[in-house]
Amino acid sequence: MLLDLQNIYKWVQQGGQRVFLLKDINLSVNEGEFISIMGPSGSGKSTLLNVIGMLDDFNEGVYSFLDEPVHRLKEKHRSNLYKKYIGFVFQAYHLIDELTVYENLEMPLLYKNHSSSERKAMVADILDRFNIVGKQKLFPTQLSGGQQQLVGVARALIGRPKLILADEPTGNLNSRQGEEIMELFKELNAEGVTILQVTHSESNAAYGTRTINLLDGRQV
Amino acid sequence: MLRNYIKVAWRNLKKQPFFTFINTFGLAIGMAGGLLIALFVYDEFSYDTMFPEAHRIHRIDSDVKFGGNQFKMAEVSAPMAETMLKDFPQVEATVRFRDRGSMLIRKNGTETNSKELHATFVDSTFFSMFGIGLLAGDVNTALKETNTLVLTRSAAEKHFGVQNALGQQLILNNSDTYTVTGVIEDLPANSFLRNHSVFLAMAGYEDSRIPDWGSNNYFTFIKLVPSAGISEIETQLQSLFSRYLIPWAQESFPGITEASFLASGNHVYYSTMPLRDIHLYSNMDSELSPNSSMQNVYILSFIALFLILLASVNFMNLSTAQSLKRAKEVGIRKTLGSDKKALLTQFLTESGMITLISLLFAIGIAFLVLPLFNELSGKSMTLPVAEPYFWILVFSFTFFLGLLSGLYPAFFMSRFVPVKVLSGTGATASSGGGIRNVLVVFQFAISILLIIGTLVVYQQLQFIQSKDLGFKKDRIVMVDDIPRNPSQAASLKEEVARLASVEDVTLSSYYPTPSSRSNSSFFKEGYQDQENAINMQMWEVDYDYINTLDIALASGRDFDRRYATDSLGILLNESAVGILGESTESVLGIKISSDLGEENPVFYTVIGVVKDFHFESLRDHIGALGLLPGVTGGSLAVKIKGNNFSETLTGIERIWDKAMPDQPFNYQFMEEAFNTTYQAEQRLGRIFMVFTILSLVVACLGLFGLAAFNAAKRTKEIGIRKVLGAGVGQITYQLTFDFLRMVIIAIVISLPIGWYAMNKWLEDFTYRIDVSWWVLLLSAMIAMGIAILTVSYQSIRAAIVNPVRSLRTE
Repeated sequence: MLLDLQNIYKWVQQGGQRVFLLKDINLSVNEGEFISIMGPSGSGKSTLLNVIGMLDDFNEGVYSFLDEPVHRLKEKHRSNLYKKYIGFVFQAYHLIDELTVYENLEMPLLYKNHSSSERKAMVADILDRFNIVGKQKLFPTQLSGGQQQLVGVARALIGRPKLILADEPTGNLNSRQGEEIMELFKELNAEGVTILQVTHSESNAAYGTRTINLLDGRQV
Repeated sequence: MLRNYIKVAWRNLKKQPFFTFINTFGLAIGMAGGLLIALFVYDEFSYDTMFPEAHRIHRIDSDVKFGGNQFKMAEVSAPMAETMLKDFPQVEATVRFRDRGSMLIRKNGTETNSKELHATFVDSTFFSMFGIGLLAGDVNTALKETNTLVLTRSAAEKHFGVQNALGQQLILNNSDTYTVTGVIEDLPANSFLRNHSVFLAMAGYEDSRIPDWGSNNYFTFIKLVPSAGISEIETQLQSLFSRYLIPWAQESFPGITEASFLASGNHVYYSTMPLRDIHLYSNMDSELSPNSSMQNVYILSFIALFLILLASVNFMNLSTAQSLKRAKEVGIRKTLGSDKKALLTQFLTESGMITLISLLFAIGIAFLVLPLFNELSGKSMTLPVAEPYFWILVFSFTFFLGLLSGLYPAFFMSRFVPVKVLSGTGATASSGGGIRNVLVVFQFAISILLIIGTLVVYQQLQFIQSKDLGFKKDRIVMVDDIPRNPSQAASLKEEVARLASVEDVTLSSYYPTPSSRSNSSFFKEGYQDQENAINMQMWEVDYDYINTLDIALASGRDFDRRYATDSLGILLNESAVGILGESTESVLGIKISSDLGEENPVFYTVIGVVKDFHFESLRDHIGALGLLPGVTGGSLAVKIKGNNFSETLTGIERIWDKAMPDQPFNYQFMEEAFNTTYQAEQRLGRIFMVFTILSLVVACLGLFGLAAFNAAKRTKEIGIRKVLGAGVGQITYQLTFDFLRMVIIAIVISLPIGWYAMNKWLEDFTYRIDVSWWVLLLSAMIAMGIAILTVSYQSIRAAIVNPVRSLRTE
């Protein structure tokens, strides 16, 4: 098992009342799964994804990632964990505008202390694999949305994570670009990468092996 | 990793040229200002440190109260030096200077004089005491014989080279012949002898051997043996008063005792002043060279500190304000595995980079501005670029500045939570506004303080220059170096007086401009005892003096050629009359004399009283003064009719050249000569103004950037308001007022501080202005006005944007 959530609750205080963002979430993910999380706006999809990605805290429950009890880990340890095993893909791509494609791809490796030659080899590999060698010297603003998201996925993958968390990865793309990204996810999943995506679209969800539906922070 | 940081930083800087410019320019100005002032302060502290064993050299000062006047002098009596050498085993050597002022010098056999501004008699121990080597001549014989002298290199080169200087004969003031026995290097610009170029052998100065303990005319320096401490000397010094001064006084005033001397309110105190402290701590009635003061060093250091703080605060403000734009990057980096430490390092690297770039600009600016600053401060400083310690200091300072400015923004930015800044709804309004506001208040408070300072210093200077001094200094040209030969001087004066554009002419050595004078004791007829002696300055003037300078009479009459007895008449000023214990009427006809202890004293009859006029700096009270008729050399004061300056000057020069074809024609306007008294204040005023403007520029740059940022942040809000019907005026007002609130707080904080600080500064002046309410008001208004100008540009720009455009982007 890759990760396991048991009775996860998350709430915020608003006007003296608890507003639940997540309510009693139970979820186990095995390696190699491709899961889609669906639900209307405000149902807690992104919150759940952030909790799984350890970017956000939760108030109650037990979360273990590769048998490590995440809820008991210190911040530093947790960040080491996601640094090593998780890659993020965002709806708004979130590339660093001041860095070229090449440098954006190289950045996660810098934080993992790879040597310069290793980095070169890994970036070259991934550029190759995504067919964007010709774009490596361009800045994000010089790319189309689809190309930017391609770089976003490539960046998530470069550290060879076990899990990719994608928050509406096609939300800002047109349908053709969206399909390309989904095809790419399918391919990656076939290679053994576990994928967890948040999506609004049924057709995107159909690429996955399992769908989890949320409503008002609760699994339905 | 570092390369990545630098790359990102560099591209960020390039992407936002406006903010980059404000940041680097502000920092560069701050650093350049700091650098210049640091040079200044360093220079101030370097005075007289070049003399080997300077720490063992001390000057003996005296504080004398006698006959109603008190004098704090850097000079003591002639026998002091020899006595100390004899009585105090701790004293290894002594040297005395007896200042002679300016001198005309020509080589024997030539006719053309050159003028040396500062000549002094000096003991031959001068060289060994101060470790001064001779370029030509022998230390063991130089200045030993009477009528010998030593010149500095530049003085020597006016007449002959350094090489063949030895043995040359020089004529001083067209009368005395001196032989050159040595040449020394020009004395350093940061030494107490910087202006002196001619050193005459004390051996030929008769007065220096007379054991007169009552006149204090000798700058006396002692060198201690290495083991001795100055405090031992200091405690024993006072004993010389009873041991030598009292017995000497008893010769003139039989029956005087130490007790009776002290009982009549007189005193003589001796003290010591370390050589290296003279420049910053000594402030005596007379000094060998004008000094600075620790106060100036403090004031300037504070200004420098303020300026750098202002620039640093700008940096913090702009960086945190801009952080919105960097928030996304922080979020991404965090999700990609960067921890807080890495981010801190990144942002500190960035601020380090900006400070380094600023440093380059700052050094450039400092290079360009240094000549101006030198002029401003009256120094000749250079950037010590060849010295490694300079670079070490500059770089470590830059490092600290980068750290200081970068730390807060770095902490601020590295705290961003990725979930928040990366969520699709766009970045939330950045926090940190509170601290930014505090920093803006701080900046403006400092700027207002500096404005108040500038205004008050200028007002005081204005006050001094326009104060009714009791004489008229405008339209008066002083022609210097009038020959001592009475008939030659008189005919010169007569000829000048005949010029059509000349109203009045007078001849005297004494004018109410900075010059060296001395005091002497006087007594009323029938009271030839020390209790009733009064001490006053005595000026020999001619019959046209009162007239030419427009000095008013309080009673009696001016000198008059029709009364032959006026050659033994005297005019007193009101202060002198007061000390004599008379009224301006009752004093008329009283006879006074300075011939203490003589059998047939010469008496002068008081024929008139002049109103007190300011003949010394306005820092001091008006002392007692007597005016005696006498024909002397000195200077002609020529009062010019109307404004025919150049015509009159040409006329005078023609007369001069005819009478003395080989003498240099030197003149100055009395106004200028008078102003040299306040040179220090004028310098301070100018420096104050320059740095005030600089700090205002820096503060405004920051405010401008912050206003731009604020307007950008509120684009959406402004759009909504406009859609709901707000007018451009209302929005501009609202945006501007947010900043003005901070300026108002700054005003409230800084006005009382400024008022207090400037009153403290003014305490140094006997005649001074009060810090008036309108100066405070004006400072506040200036700050306010500048803030409004700075902010409203951005506010109006934001207010006139079409709301459709600003809302569409959401």
